[in-house]
Amino acid sequence: MTQTPGADAPSQGLNFFRFNVSLRDAGTILGLLIIVVVFSLLTPVFLTAPNLINILQQSSLNAVIALGMTLVIISGGIDLSVGPTAALSAVIGATLMVAGVPIYVAILAALGVGILCGLFNGVLVAYAGLQPFIVTLGGLSLYRALALIYTGGNPVFGIPPEFRALTNGTLLGIPNPVIIVAIIALLLWILLNKTPLGEYILAVGGNEEAARIAGVPVAKTKVATFVISGSLASIAAMILVGRLGAAEPTIGNLWELDAIAAAAIGGASLMGGKGSIVGTLIGAIILGALRNGLTLMNVQAFYQLLATGIIIIAAMLIDRATRGK
Amino acid sequence: MSSPEYRLSLKNVTKTYPGIVALDDITFNVKAGEVHGLLGENGAGKSTMLNILSGVRPGDQGQIEIDGKSVEINNPIAAREAGIAMIHQELQHVPELSVAQNMFLGRPLTRSGRLFVRTRAQEKRARDVLADLDPTIDPAAPIKTLKVAQQQIVEIGRALLEQASIIAMDEPTSSLTPSEFERLAELIKTLSEKGVSIIYVSHKMDEVFQVCQRATILRDGKHVAVVDIADETESSIVSKMVGREVLHAAHTSYATTEEILAVDGLGRGKAVIDANFTLHRGEVLGISGLVGSGRTELMRLIAGLDQPSTGQIRVMEKPVRAHDPRAAIRAGIGLVPEERKREGIVHARSVASNMALPSMGQFTRSGLLRHGLMHKKAEEVMSDLRLRPPNVRQAIGTFSGGNQQKAIIGRWLAASTEIFLFDEPTRGIDVGAKSEIYNLIEELAKAGKAIIVVSSEMPEIIRLSDRVLVMQEGRLVANLQKNDITEDRIAHYAIPRKDQAVA
Repeated sequence: MTQTPGADAPSQGLNFFRFNVSLRDAGTILGLLIIVVVFSLLTPVFLTAPNLINILQQSSLNAVIALGMTLVIISGGIDLSVGPTAALSAVIGATLMVAGVPIYVAILAALGVGILCGLFNGVLVAYAGLQPFIVTLGGLSLYRALALIYTGGNPVFGIPPEFRALTNGTLLGIPNPVIIVAIIALLLWILLNKTPLGEYILAVGGNEEAARIAGVPVAKTKVATFVISGSLASIAAMILVGRLGAAEPTIGNLWELDAIAAAAIGGASLMGGKGSIVGTLIGAIILGALRNGLTLMNVQAFYQLLATGIIIIAAMLIDRATRGK
Repeated sequence: MSSPEYRLSLKNVTKTYPGIVALDDITFNVKAGEVHGLLGENGAGKSTMLNILSGVRPGDQGQIEIDGKSVEINNPIAAREAGIAMIHQELQHVPELSVAQNMFLGRPLTRSGRLFVRTRAQEKRARDVLADLDPTIDPAAPIKTLKVAQQQIVEIGRALLEQASIIAMDEPTSSLTPSEFERLAELIKTLSEKGVSIIYVSHKMDEVFQVCQRATILRDGKHVAVVDIADETESSIVSKMVGREVLHAAHTSYATTEEILAVDGLGRGKAVIDANFTLHRGEVLGISGLVGSGRTELMRLIAGLDQPSTGQIRVMEKPVRAHDPRAAIRAGIGLVPEERKREGIVHARSVASNMALPSMGQFTRSGLLRHGLMHKKAEEVMSDLRLRPPNVRQAIGTFSGGNQQKAIIGRWLAASTEIFLFDEPTRGIDVGAKSEIYNLIEELAKAGKAIIVVSSEMPEIIRLSDRVLVMQEGRLVANLQKNDITEDRIAHYAIPRKDQAVA
C-alpha cells in the first residue's frame, strides 16, 4: 500500500520469482536448522542419531496428513475431516483384520474408506458448490460419529502381529513409517511439479475463474485433492494402528490443526495457489523437533502447546515480512 | 496566491510506481462551483489522480490545498474529512444493506454511547437528502433493488450527506442510458450552482462539452493543458489528449465465405434473447452495444461458461455441448475475457504455465509434464506475439496489461484455437500496446481464424470489424455491413428509444 522509500523487496521478488519457491523452502529449512542448533545446545541428547530418527518417526503421522492437506490448501480448499477419516479407516481396517481377512485386503479396504470420505467431501465442494470449510466440518462430525457407532465406542484389539511388523519394522535402521513418508512426499512432489494435475491444482487455487475459462477441469481437480487427502488419512491411520496394536475410534483428534500448521509453516497460503511439498515436510519436522526437544528438557505439556503456538505465529510473521507484500 | 482562488489546488504532484512515473509534476486547479473535466487516454494518469485525491494511494511529492489551506490526504478518511467525495465507475455498496444504511456506512447515527444504530433517523436524513435528487428512492429499500442510475444518485446523496465540497465522478455514465445521463447532467448543474465543485472524468466528448466549464488534459502522466471548454472543439481536445494526429489505419478484410460458427436462437433469461448469427473464417465480427446490453453474457454462452436457457451453437455444423467450457475449447473456441486479472490470468504462475492450461495434453508424456517442451512452445508463440520482456518463465502477474493480453492470446494459439472471442480486448491497456493488439487481431484474421470483438469503444469496433452486430437489451438488433459501420449508425441501434423521440 504505502510505498516507503527503500522498499525494494517487491522488485527483487519479481526478478527472482522462479526461485521464490525454493527460496521459501530454504527459509523453512533454515528455521529447522535454528531449532536443531538451539536444542542441541540446550540438551546434549537431542543431536544423536537415535533421537533424530525418533523425531522423524514422531513427525511421520503429521507429515502424511499434512502432505495431503497441502494439496487441498493449494487448490484453495481445506480438509478439516482428516482425523475422523483416519479413525473410520482405522476401525474398519482393524475389524477386518481381526475377523481374519488377509492383511492386504484389509489395508485396501481402509484405503477405500479414506477415498470414499474424500470423494464425499470433494463432490460436495466441487459439484454442489458448498464451501470446503463447512463441508469438511460436517465430515469431521459425520465420520467420527460413524466410527463411534460402528465400534460402539470401544477400541478394536487383537491386531495381527504380521501387520504390526509392517509399520513397526525398519529398513537399514530407518523406521518404515519414515520411509513411507519419504515415498509419499516424493510422489506428491512429482504430482505437484511434474504433472498436468499439479498445474491444474496451482491454477485452480490461484484463480479459479480464470482456470475455468482456460479449460481447466476445475471440479475434477478439486475432487482429486480431497481424495488424495482422504487416502493419506487412511495411510496415517494404518501407521498408527500398527504402532498402538489397537484401533481406537477416537484417534485423530485435532490432527487437522497440526497438519494445517505444518503446511502453513512450509509456505502454503490458505488463500490457495501457493504451497510446497518440501516446505510442508520440513514444517512437520519442525513441529516434531520442537515437541521432542521440549520433552527432552522436561518442559510441561502446557508450555509445549505455548511454544507450538508461538512458532506458528512467528513463522507466519517472518513469512509476511520477507514477502514484502 | 494568498486569496483562495481555487477550491482545490494540486501543486507539483508526482507519483511513481516501480518503473513508471504515473504522474509527473502535475498542477491541477478547480474553482468553487465549477465542473472541471479531467481528460486523457487510458494510462494518462487520471486514475492515479483520483487515487491521490481519494487518499487511496497518496502522492510521493507535491501539495494539496483546499480553499487555500494545505491538507494532507494520506488515507480515505482524511479525504472525506477534507470534503472530497468520490463516485466510482464501479459503484461501491454493500448490496444487501438498505439505501440509508449504505449512505451512513462507516459513520452511522447512534445513540446510547454508540451502542445502537438509529435506523429511523438515518432513513429520515437520507430521505431529506434524496428528496432533491430523486424522491422516488426509498431509503429503507435494499440498495440492490435500485437501478444503477439510482444507485449512483444514492452515492451522490451520500457525498452531500458528508457535506462534500468536491465530488469527483469517474466515468459516471458508463452504465447509464442517454435519458439517465440527461438527469445526471441536470443534477450536476444544480450541485455546482450550490457551490459544489465537480471533477468529471469521462472519455465521452459530447458529455464533457455538455457538462464541463473547464478541463485539464493529461497525457502520459504529464499536464498538457487547461482549457475553457467554450473555446475548444472535440477534435482540438482529442488531439491534445493523443498528442498527435489520430491515425486511422486502413481496414483490410480477410473474411471468407466459409462458415465456421453458427449461433442458433441462443438465449439466457433476459440477458441474451434469441441470438442468431454466423461467423466465417478470416472474419472479424464486431459486437457493439451499451454496457449491460448482454454482450459479455453472449460471449460467455458461446464459450460454454454459463447455461443457456434456449438455443445452441454449432462449430463446422457440429453442435457444441452447452455449459461446458472444455467442450467449447475442444471445438476450437477461445475466450479472451474482459477482466484480465479476475478471469484471464493465474497471476503467480509463469507465462508458460498460463499458456499451457487449455492444451496440457500436448506437453504430457506418460502422465508427466514435459517442461522443456512447454517452455519451448511458449517461447515460440510468445516471440511471435512480441512478449516484453520475452521471459516465459516469469510470473504473468508481473507483466503489463498489454503483455498479459498477448499471453492469453498465445494461450489460444498454442491450443490451436480457430474461433477467438475478444471481450473488450484493449481495456486497461496503454495506447502503444493497443495498436499492437489491433495488429495481432488482424494477423489472426489473415491466418484464417474467425474473430468476434466485443467493445465499448466505437473507434476500436470501426477500426477492426468487417461486420458489426449491435446489441440492445439482450437482443441483436442490427447487422451492419462494411460501409454502414459508422458511429452514428451503431449508436442509432444501440440506444433504446422507448423513452425518447425517435431521432
